[in-house]
Amino acid sequence: MAKRKIIGAVEIGTSKVVVLVGEIVGDRSLNIIGRGQVASYGMKKGDIVNFRSVSDRTHAAIITAEKNSGTTIGSVYLAQTGGHLKGFYNKGSVTVCSPENRVDKSDMLRAVESAKRKDLPPDRVYIHHIQNEYRLDGHLIEDPAAMRGEHLDVGYWHIHGDEKKLTDHIHVINGMGLKVEDVIVSSIASGCMVASEAEKKNGILVIDMGCGTTDYVLYRGGHIVRTGVIPIGGDHITNDLSMGLRIGGRHSERLKLRFAKAMLNPKDKNDRVWLIGDMSIGDRRIPRLAIYKIVQSRLKEIFQIVRDDLGSTLDSRNIAGGVVLTGGTSRLPSIANLAGRVLGINTRLGKPPPWILKSMRVPEYTTVLGLLYYGLTAQRSIEKITPQRRLIRKMARILNI
Amino acid sequence: MASDNLENSPHMLDHENDGENLRIKIIGVGGAGNNAVDRLKLDDLGQIHLAVVNTDSQVLASSPLQDKILIGSGVTRGLSAGGEPDIGRKAAEADRASLERLVEGVDLVFLLAGLGGGTGSGATPVLAEAATKAGALVLAFVTLPFTLEGARRHKQAQNAMSALRRTCHAVIPLPNDLLLQQMDEQATVLDAYAMADEWISRGVCAIWSMLLKTGLINVDFATLKKGFDNHGGKTLFGLGYGSGEDFENKAVEDLLLCPLLHTPEFSRKADSLIVNITGGPDLSMNKVNEIMNLVTEKFGSKDNTVMSAVIDENMQGSLSICVIGTTDLNGDKARPFGIFTGSRTVESTVTDDTGATRPVSGDTAKRRKKEPPRHSQEVFAFSRDDDQRGYFEKSEHNLYNGEDLDVPTYLRRGIKIKL
Repeated sequence: MAKRKIIGAVEIGTSKVVVLVGEIVGDRSLNIIGRGQVASYGMKKGDIVNFRSVSDRTHAAIITAEKNSGTTIGSVYLAQTGGHLKGFYNKGSVTVCSPENRVDKSDMLRAVESAKRKDLPPDRVYIHHIQNEYRLDGHLIEDPAAMRGEHLDVGYWHIHGDEKKLTDHIHVINGMGLKVEDVIVSSIASGCMVASEAEKKNGILVIDMGCGTTDYVLYRGGHIVRTGVIPIGGDHITNDLSMGLRIGGRHSERLKLRFAKAMLNPKDKNDRVWLIGDMSIGDRRIPRLAIYKIVQSRLKEIFQIVRDDLGSTLDSRNIAGGVVLTGGTSRLPSIANLAGRVLGINTRLGKPPPWILKSMRVPEYTTVLGLLYYGLTAQRSIEKITPQRRLIRKMARILNI
Repeated sequence: MASDNLENSPHMLDHENDGENLRIKIIGVGGAGNNAVDRLKLDDLGQIHLAVVNTDSQVLASSPLQDKILIGSGVTRGLSAGGEPDIGRKAAEADRASLERLVEGVDLVFLLAGLGGGTGSGATPVLAEAATKAGALVLAFVTLPFTLEGARRHKQAQNAMSALRRTCHAVIPLPNDLLLQQMDEQATVLDAYAMADEWISRGVCAIWSMLLKTGLINVDFATLKKGFDNHGGKTLFGLGYGSGEDFENKAVEDLLLCPLLHTPEFSRKADSLIVNITGGPDLSMNKVNEIMNLVTEKFGSKDNTVMSAVIDENMQGSLSICVIGTTDLNGDKARPFGIFTGSRTVESTVTDDTGATRPVSGDTAKRRKKEPPRHSQEVFAFSRDDDQRGYFEKSEHNLYNGEDLDVPTYLRRGIKIKL
């Protein structure tokens, strides 16, 4: 019988804590055998603001998932987001050693080392070093081994975060006696779920709009070129509505889910909607135009920040795969239309791939599914972060939980 | 601290035994503050003294008021502070003696200023400190700059705000972005600033009219002072106005829609609350009761609400409501600082008082006894009330290009929301 291994994926989100239990059979296929989900409390904008309650909720979610699957989890993959995550690009360059200018494995290793050598301020730690393209004498080359050239460059996108916040997150898991196998930036986890290998080659921008943060990842030439976190999410829309319409937080959340739209339908322009709907005391009619203006100005700003952050990297000629929106906030009607207008690139909605159980195939689960997926590829000890999706697709089969 | 109280008490007795001699001063600091004082629409000045403080001699010269103080003539040579709070502060420090003279023996000081510039941001905290030291109750009404005025001014305003919160009894911030929301599309920049002045003047009026005008329920100065004996807390401030048919309900509705009650700057549950209703001779006690119930339920508990209802002959067929509250977010830390002005002294004063205010003093004593349990309960209730506070109030600032992204985009961009 093939070897079985249980791995856990934990996403401590701003609105919910989701835990998935995956079973890796052999080193080829992955079954999701358990799920635990608890409404999150004590998280704001992707950061922990109340450690105790975050820890309680997470433990509850893990216990539910374990019960659900009938196993115990030994180690987990943990998603990480929050405004403290930053990234930068740098290059490692070496001169090829051998007299006949053939690139050796050791040259490549030296180049990688020199790219990773950059020190961070004392309170920051690296989370990922993501390898980008090799260049031999300035020419793009997929694998330079044994080729001829004098100078070898390798590009790296480094992601680093605040040490205290990272250890806080890890401590939540450690507090239950579990080991954190790896910390993965949410945008990368989401990205590997909604973008295909071909799209990553051609260039694609994945924007995961959650409750507390908006995470994006840009692929080009099969590599992760950029990642970023904007600490604005669905919570902000709710808060904007409650301030703009002067209503309580609970009402504004409901109003957002029921009536918020990224683009206004012209025939709704003079329409009004009931706040509560039962005509009880305090119920009043709110113009759709007001809701729309508040929501749209916020969403527009988010996309503008993404656009400004990426700057010249975001060029529709380089991003043939277009823009994919996922995450809970991407459920807002006509949001893709608005994003496309602001970013100037064709935008569509992305969901986890069809081989996943239907009830899990919703934008909210993209990140946590991506974590498991990442776990599977890590088991196969592939160093590259982006897995070879074609293979996995055949192998991964999702069972009912 | 104890010696402070002793020093203050005879002096306070002098004033409060004879309620008519309550000394109120409204002081405008800096350009915006001067404008606000000049434009104050007070029909009956009575015991209210107006004064302006500025570094710019030209602006001072154009003010119609008598009481003008030029500060920092050695620092700026009579020119403005040039948008530098440091210069504003230095100017005020240089002329601290004349500022102290300005607030000497005054019971209630209103400070009006526009934060973000030089004199307003720099000098106001100094003046506030001097006034608090002199034993006055200090309430500051300050406007915060428009987001479009830039990140620097915004930052300066925030710094000044926190400095003021430490020294004043209550700071009432009026974000210009919000005031813009209250106006129609064609409004000019001048209209916007005039609007800020109007809000300030309504707030000031509400407080002084409840102290000095005749009414159904009067509030005396000691009670008012009691309401503000915490420094450093956040303030709640809202206004509502209704006129014409069904004016009572209109006023309540207007109050509930008041944009000032819906910003993270304001806390929506107050530990102590002062409610003032001003209406015409047709104001019925029944209606007052109804409004009070509604307001206290919304913003705080009945135990610690001070209410007043005032009759104004000119307000026939209209009604205005003003709600002012303070919260004690710093918890116990704020308490010792609050005794600065001596709450014990205040109480003894009230008991010494004769006639109408006696029941109030009994009330005050009861409130004091109730305070400890209420306080500990607040701690528990706090997390549950979290969704009622500005949601991101307690999280880190979300700065991007100098703008706080947690503030709704429509406010920062000046997009009008019509309700």
